[in-house]
Amino acid sequence: MSGQGFTVTGVSKTYEGSGLVQALDGIDLTVGEGEFVVLLGRSGCGKSTLLEIMAGLQTPTSGTVRLGDREITAPDERIGVVFQDPSLYPWRTVGRNVELGLELAGVPKARRRAVAQEHLELVGLPDVGNKYPRQLSGGMRQRVGIARALATRPDVLLMDEPFGAVDHLTRLQLQRDLLRLQAEDTRTVVFVTHDVAEAIVLADRIVLLTPGPGRIARTWDVSRPRPRTLGDPELTVLREEIYAHLEDRERQPR
Amino acid sequence: MSTSRTDAPAARSRRAGLVLGQVALLAGVLALCEALVRGNVVSSLYLPAPTDVLDEVVLLLSGENGFYGNLAVTLQEFLTGYLLAVAAGILFGLFLALVPLAEAFFRPFLAALMAVPKVTVIPLLTLWFGLGLGHKVIIVFLFCFFPIVYNTIAGVKQTSADHLKVARSFRASRLQVVTKVVLPSAVPTIFAALRVEAAAALVGAIFGEMVASKAGLGNGLTEATSLYDTPRAFAFIILITLVSVTSVTVIDQLEKRVFLKWRPRQSRLR
Repeated sequence: MSGQGFTVTGVSKTYEGSGLVQALDGIDLTVGEGEFVVLLGRSGCGKSTLLEIMAGLQTPTSGTVRLGDREITAPDERIGVVFQDPSLYPWRTVGRNVELGLELAGVPKARRRAVAQEHLELVGLPDVGNKYPRQLSGGMRQRVGIARALATRPDVLLMDEPFGAVDHLTRLQLQRDLLRLQAEDTRTVVFVTHDVAEAIVLADRIVLLTPGPGRIARTWDVSRPRPRTLGDPELTVLREEIYAHLEDRERQPR
Repeated sequence: MSTSRTDAPAARSRRAGLVLGQVALLAGVLALCEALVRGNVVSSLYLPAPTDVLDEVVLLLSGENGFYGNLAVTLQEFLTGYLLAVAAGILFGLFLALVPLAEAFFRPFLAALMAVPKVTVIPLLTLWFGLGLGHKVIIVFLFCFFPIVYNTIAGVKQTSADHLKVARSFRASRLQVVTKVVLPSAVPTIFAALRVEAAAALVGAIFGEMVASKAGLGNGLTEATSLYDTPRAFAFIILITLVSVTSVTVIDQLEKRVFLKWRPRQSRLR
């Protein structure tokens, strides 16, 4: 299992639109095996672009991403991706949505059905396999999205603002669930969010990205034991520091 | 879903009143026709008495005038042409939607062919293909093919970029993307065409028969009209309408029970 960490070296991304838009500029980042890294930043800072490049869904204009000893140039079976809008297929039952990755990989029906059910149970939804996504709440759909990503048993989870579209209380619950899943079976996680509190609750390390073009502004190690509460004085200090840093950046002319 | 659950007694009695009124109107019109014809105010040559039409329907359904033979001929033309158009239309539409260069190349030709009112070529088709099955199959095919192609293209283009991204993240092959994501995404739009074109296909078959044929329901209708057998003509109209309604109902049920059972019902009412 060793060596399943990410090494991002000099990654830049430029989009051709009306003129060139530079989304990322010279990103260097390492994510250790089993580490939970949060990419934090406001919209437009390139954090989702970076995540998609790490997932092999986009190619960088320059620079490389390695996972373990292999370079990532296309989606990789060691990586599971959780999307902001879980993008479940509405024409499939929930169970068959969770099976999707296994089905595409050619796993026999009985086997993938069992694995799907097992992962629905893992995310706390044992009874929804035969329902359709529209019959579920937003929070449940996002759990299904996580189950779908986990069903192919990836070493690494890449999560793109996975709890961005659900209400606040559901979001807190989903965060606790994610930490429980991590406690049971630790994977390397890279998690994108614009929510400072979410970053503090979840991360081993917070990486702050600033826009125009996207660069890593600062990183913080968070060593407090989990579960964490935001009332923890040490974390309150950290939160103020992050906010101060965000505002400080705002005042600088660009 | 909405009506069945909000059924308050007031709403139910209002609906009962509505139905009662509708039945009364229908009965009134039929009674009026009956009276006009029986009282010799209108010649039965122009307007048949409803009871005579009913007799004629019963007669045809009992096999008079080779009705079931004609029905079989029409259904064969309709089904052959329609199913060919469905298969070819979806495949060609898929091809065009997935190969942008092919779409760019074929689009003007498709648009031009689609613009031709298909009935105008029926006499020529008679000249080329005669009076038989092939003639009607081609008419039916031409009636349905183009809208199915267009709707398939439109449906494929509705595929969500996020859904494609999910498939890519699981390393789906190109074929898998088509069968697992693109086609299912296009199904609602394709079905919209299948429903409309089922009715159009029957029109094609019947019209082809009316223009040039030796058998079929359209043939029977033309024959009845030319013999001034108005009750029988009306009976044919009623029976052909039933066939049309049945075919659309079959498509609807197929859609609801098999292909689109995941869909909430409201979104299809528009």
